[in-house]
Amino acid sequence: MVGPIASLSQLNRADGSASYKCPATGYSILGAVNAPIELPARRDALKPEEATVEVFVKPGTTTAGVGERYAEGILRSALGKIVLGREKGFPRRGLVITLTIVGGENVERGDSYLTILPALLHAALLAMVSASVPLSMTFSATLLGVTKSGDIVRDPSPTAAKAAVSLHAFAFSSKNHLLLNESVGRFEFDTWELVRERALSICQGATTSTDGDVTMGEGTASASLNGFIRETVEDQIYSDYAYKLDSI
Amino acid sequence: MSAPLVLLPSDEVPKDHLPTNSSNPLRLGPGLRILSQPSSKGTNHVLTATQAGLLTTDAKRNTVSLLSFPNRRYIPTVNDFVIAQIHHSSVDFFHCMVTPHTAHALLGQLSFEGASKKTRPMLKQGELVYARVQSVGLGAGAEVELTCVNPATGKADGGLGPLTAGMVFDVSTGMAARLIRASSSSAENTDAIDGLVVLSELGKKLESLGGFEIAVGRNGKVWVDCSNAAESAVKVTIAIGRCLQETDQQNLHTHDQKKLVTKILRDMKLVS
Repeated sequence: MVGPIASLSQLNRADGSASYKCPATGYSILGAVNAPIELPARRDALKPEEATVEVFVKPGTTTAGVGERYAEGILRSALGKIVLGREKGFPRRGLVITLTIVGGENVERGDSYLTILPALLHAALLAMVSASVPLSMTFSATLLGVTKSGDIVRDPSPTAAKAAVSLHAFAFSSKNHLLLNESVGRFEFDTWELVRERALSICQGATTSTDGDVTMGEGTASASLNGFIRETVEDQIYSDYAYKLDSI
Repeated sequence: MSAPLVLLPSDEVPKDHLPTNSSNPLRLGPGLRILSQPSSKGTNHVLTATQAGLLTTDAKRNTVSLLSFPNRRYIPTVNDFVIAQIHHSSVDFFHCMVTPHTAHALLGQLSFEGASKKTRPMLKQGELVYARVQSVGLGAGAEVELTCVNPATGKADGGLGPLTAGMVFDVSTGMAARLIRASSSSAENTDAIDGLVVLSELGKKLESLGGFEIAVGRNGKVWVDCSNAAESAVKVTIAIGRCLQETDQQNLHTHDQKKLVTKILRDMKLVS
């Protein structure tokens, strides 16, 4: 199976940016983050001690509609949980995340937005990391579909997703917390439990006993999605600080 | 020196990477926080990262900090030198822009060297000042205050004050920090500091044209002035700005920086 492709800090003018492409589902996302900035309107009246997270999802070919608003709501609540909005410079300011869908099939009006959620989440996370937004933890997300015969398919393509009986999007933090759980279709609780275990092993790799320890086995780290996020960030840091590392 | 260690948010700083100097307390730089876990035998303290970055320690000053991505936004910190642009002026303050899309920073009308009610600089919209961050305030929505004098001496130390003539170029905040480190330690050592030779190279090549003057703001701005260069002043300014920006954007190595300087100066017909 071909793993996802991602790169960081591609845009010059944004504070942080990332592009993410998932070959299995075909989606390609470009994310940009600006933070901390002054929001045009005072939308922070409810929680003045914290930063306000704003998410915008822009489809490549049409204007954003109800489906995008729905996805933005899910993303905002999931990402809001890991942003440390009380760090220096962030209270009462805004954290604006813009996610543009630059490749892949359009999500038709009325279709499920779950298929694209993991790609959006990954692009948003990498862009926030690139903007040095203080985060309490990282996460990784995955999409699983259950077929008519009861098989669990990882990252189903848009056509496979349409044929699936149920679709499940999961996000697990680097400390193995369940961060996001969205499902559509008909399924039983036993199925959901199986899917959750599968998703956890995809995100964390085979070793589920570690609690986000730094010294992860190199072999297992590359197989899991969390390991992929770590490698992407490390590569960018190494290339940015090449001048410093050369002299050591 | 141990192998370079990259931390992601929620990663713990390994104990063996911390400096072992115990004469003064350990100081945490940006991107790190201390978490306390109550356990059966007292509380347990761990240092965790809140940003992704390269862990660096300074044994002499007993500090540990994270070097984060260079393209990040500048967050005002007390005692940083910044280049601010005047947005408008009110009775007591100049309202200055330090970073785009953030609230204006305040610069007192009298916080200049030797300023009094009668002899204060009349700065207009768009003019530049080299200032120091005096305070960032407490709590949410606090205002950032700038000053152009050292409050202890009343003098404009380190070239603080209005910047006249010249031109400002935008660079990344990481590049600005590198330039500041390079210039502060260049007195005894003109070799590559932090892998940066572009400035010393430009200095050598442009000496015949009268040299140049630069000021680096922590907020990712570089002011360049070379009014000594007479008729080629504009060309020299642009050339310096281009060298700095390209070094920054392409993350050039030292030998590439030298090549770039030669190429740009030849392109602009400054040095044959």
